[in-house]
Amino acid sequence: MKFLLDILKAVRPSFEAGGRLRAFKPVFDAMENFFFAPAAVTLAAPHVRDPLDIKRLMSMVIIAVLPSLFTAFYFFGWRLVPMIIVSYAAGGAVEVAFAVIRKDQINEGFLVTGMLFPLILPPTLPLWMVGVGVVFGVFVGKELFGGTGRNIFNPAIVGRCFLALAYPAAMSGNWTSAGSSWPGRMLEYVTSSNVDAVSTATPLVLAKQGELVSFWKMLLGNTSGSMGETSAIAVILGGVFLILTRVANWRTVVSILGSAAVLAGIFHYGQPDRFAPALWHLCAGSLLFGAFFMATDPVTSPVTNAGKWFYGIIIGVITVLIRNFTGYVEGVMFAILLGNIAAPIIDEVVTKVRLRRLRLEEG
Amino acid sequence: MEFRGGYNILLQGKPDRLTEVLPEPEILYLPLCSRRFEFTEMLVREGQRVKGGDVLSRDPDNYAVPLLAPRAGIVRLNVVKGHIVLEDISKTEFAYTERGELGHIVRQMGEAGIKRHKLLELGAWQFFYDAYTGALPDPLGPAQAVIISTLSLEPFVARGDAQLQERLLDFTRGLEHLQSLLEYQPMYLVMPDISSDFASQVRRQIRGYARAELIEIPLKYPYDNSNILVRHLHLKKNDGPVWFVRTEGVLAIDRALTLSKPCLSRIVSLGGPGVRMPIHMKVIPGYPIEAIRTRCVSPGAVRMLNGGILTGVPAGPETLGLDTECRGLTVLAEHGEREFLGFVRPGWDRSSYAACFLSSLRAKFSERFTTAMRGEGRPCVSCNFCEEVCPAGIMPYLLHKYLYGDLIEEVELARVDLCIECGLCSFVCPSKIDLTRQFVEAKRLIEREKEEIRREQLKQAELRLAEEARRKAAKEAEY
Repeated sequence: MKFLLDILKAVRPSFEAGGRLRAFKPVFDAMENFFFAPAAVTLAAPHVRDPLDIKRLMSMVIIAVLPSLFTAFYFFGWRLVPMIIVSYAAGGAVEVAFAVIRKDQINEGFLVTGMLFPLILPPTLPLWMVGVGVVFGVFVGKELFGGTGRNIFNPAIVGRCFLALAYPAAMSGNWTSAGSSWPGRMLEYVTSSNVDAVSTATPLVLAKQGELVSFWKMLLGNTSGSMGETSAIAVILGGVFLILTRVANWRTVVSILGSAAVLAGIFHYGQPDRFAPALWHLCAGSLLFGAFFMATDPVTSPVTNAGKWFYGIIIGVITVLIRNFTGYVEGVMFAILLGNIAAPIIDEVVTKVRLRRLRLEEG
Repeated sequence: MEFRGGYNILLQGKPDRLTEVLPEPEILYLPLCSRRFEFTEMLVREGQRVKGGDVLSRDPDNYAVPLLAPRAGIVRLNVVKGHIVLEDISKTEFAYTERGELGHIVRQMGEAGIKRHKLLELGAWQFFYDAYTGALPDPLGPAQAVIISTLSLEPFVARGDAQLQERLLDFTRGLEHLQSLLEYQPMYLVMPDISSDFASQVRRQIRGYARAELIEIPLKYPYDNSNILVRHLHLKKNDGPVWFVRTEGVLAIDRALTLSKPCLSRIVSLGGPGVRMPIHMKVIPGYPIEAIRTRCVSPGAVRMLNGGILTGVPAGPETLGLDTECRGLTVLAEHGEREFLGFVRPGWDRSSYAACFLSSLRAKFSERFTTAMRGEGRPCVSCNFCEEVCPAGIMPYLLHKYLYGDLIEEVELARVDLCIECGLCSFVCPSKIDLTRQFVEAKRLIEREKEEIRREQLKQAELRLAEEARRKAAKEAEY
């Protein structure tokens, strides 16, 4: 790969101070460090460092989402590909523009947002809406707060929330049935005007009308819904991988799913005819996807381990409450946004308690 | 306090248990600076012939701790900057004679005072540390307790077990001597396994002579740190200083008090991926580093560290010899080649705190670390790894956030003073933030500010007193 290094070396001067393209230094740096590990060495103790860096950390999320990508592709067709491309291109443009304006580095966090965003959208959403949504999410949800690491809200959820409020018809009234027999919809390009793509309600909508979609169908993903979230098994596969690699914290996931299951279970026990059982609620809609991939975003969730429990409980409880007692059929999106709002407060309280304990311990 | 955090970095090139005696050097370069000491009070002249054990210099700020001549030879003061050079060296040893002017110490402290003075003069006191500050404790001052650690968990510094080989008798005798320095204060002997054969042997040997409580700690870095140990033992800072001694210190006490001989040689580990044969070596201070380098270090660009990889300091080309406090030399290869698409590689050969590499599927192994940063600096993503590994129980990410906002008061309230500078938070940080260094700087800043406030208060008090005295005098003059 020496030739690539030589090319980089040759074009570097034009990106450096005084060069013609110096404004695009962040882009050059990002390219260089994408291809070649940085040349930096440690300057002070500790003299060695862990091999994990942010690039690797973010790549882990991409790997973890592969099963869901595959099921999205299988059940809803290859329209997924242009959606991902649009999401990356539009969101990436915002990220690069801000890096150039701020003269800062391009952060890898966007690679995850761009990949997760199409997976939480309805399969037939117009491509321009995908672009608008991701631009809004990255711009308002992240860059306005100062970029990756300083954002309060999960950018992908902010984008989706914007779309849901701005284009409610496209976002909640236009669900495509999943391809049921081999080879799914893998060979189809499904749009809202496709004759073949029958519009059907999602399991949560049907549940409001008193009809429960079978648990096995939801486990496999053979239902309608947002692209990546329908297949519980694929989400769990990727999510467990994330937890095992310690990229996602198990406390968040366990507390979200646990509190949601307990609350849904209580409701179901009280009025079995009106409320769906706990296990059904876990697999329905985007609860699993949100718990494993969205809520575990380290930046927007509380830092402290104790705080993660409270955060998870807030999300789990609010989700079940919204699903069962409001006009909305799905509440994960709002629950996570509310959890994001609460996260800094939770952290504040937990660290206060911990610091007080530290002070007492040391006299 | 329960132990928490901690993480063992498995580095290639662990020094062997056996100790090798290095050949006698022809010339010695004694550095005048080491971690704690700065020998500025020169007691020899250029060209003077000294005997082994003679005092070459002293550190006036550290209870006049002496720099002893490890061998007989001719002193050269002006040849190398920051070093005393000993030429034409030979092995004649000097015998300690008790000097006359110790009457005041005897009056103050009795026999124990003489012994403590002897430890200082024979170079054994250097092995004592204040458990809270790491500084040299007052040789004639009190101690509330003594902690003796047989462990060295940082990769790599000289390990206790390498030094205890066949020297158990000396060790237990050293413990008895240590006991005789104290009155009733407790001694804690820290060991990895207190039910082992070795531990019961120690227990049998010291029974009746020394009263040491055996403390078992897990073999996890940095649980052997003196600050962690005092917290673990619930010792309070206000009850007085705690002495901290390692195996080599106890052996030095034995040598000084049993044989009345100066402690001239020490056991130093030589390890790390850049070393051909990782060993423990018995050397004298001032031993030329170049000789060790040509003998044991693989060719190529390396970084030589005085100490371990987590807390050591680079032994740059300006340091020519081992200093008197060196416990280990660790050699790392300098980072050279830039890996193509490094971050997507499976990583069979990288061991990480998080299981993000394929290597987490294989058994524990020692990695060939280099000095590479292994990533670009990024803003904190709040992954919480730093808090998980922190043995002191503080919150590094929070301190970092406060420091980023220049909130120095909050930093102080968040107990940055508990940071033991073990380096683990910097090591695990995926955003490659130099947390440890930031905390060291913050601690220094806070210390300086406190000092200034103290001085200001003192000045105010003095002014007040002077004002009162003046008023009094004026009043008296009126009458």
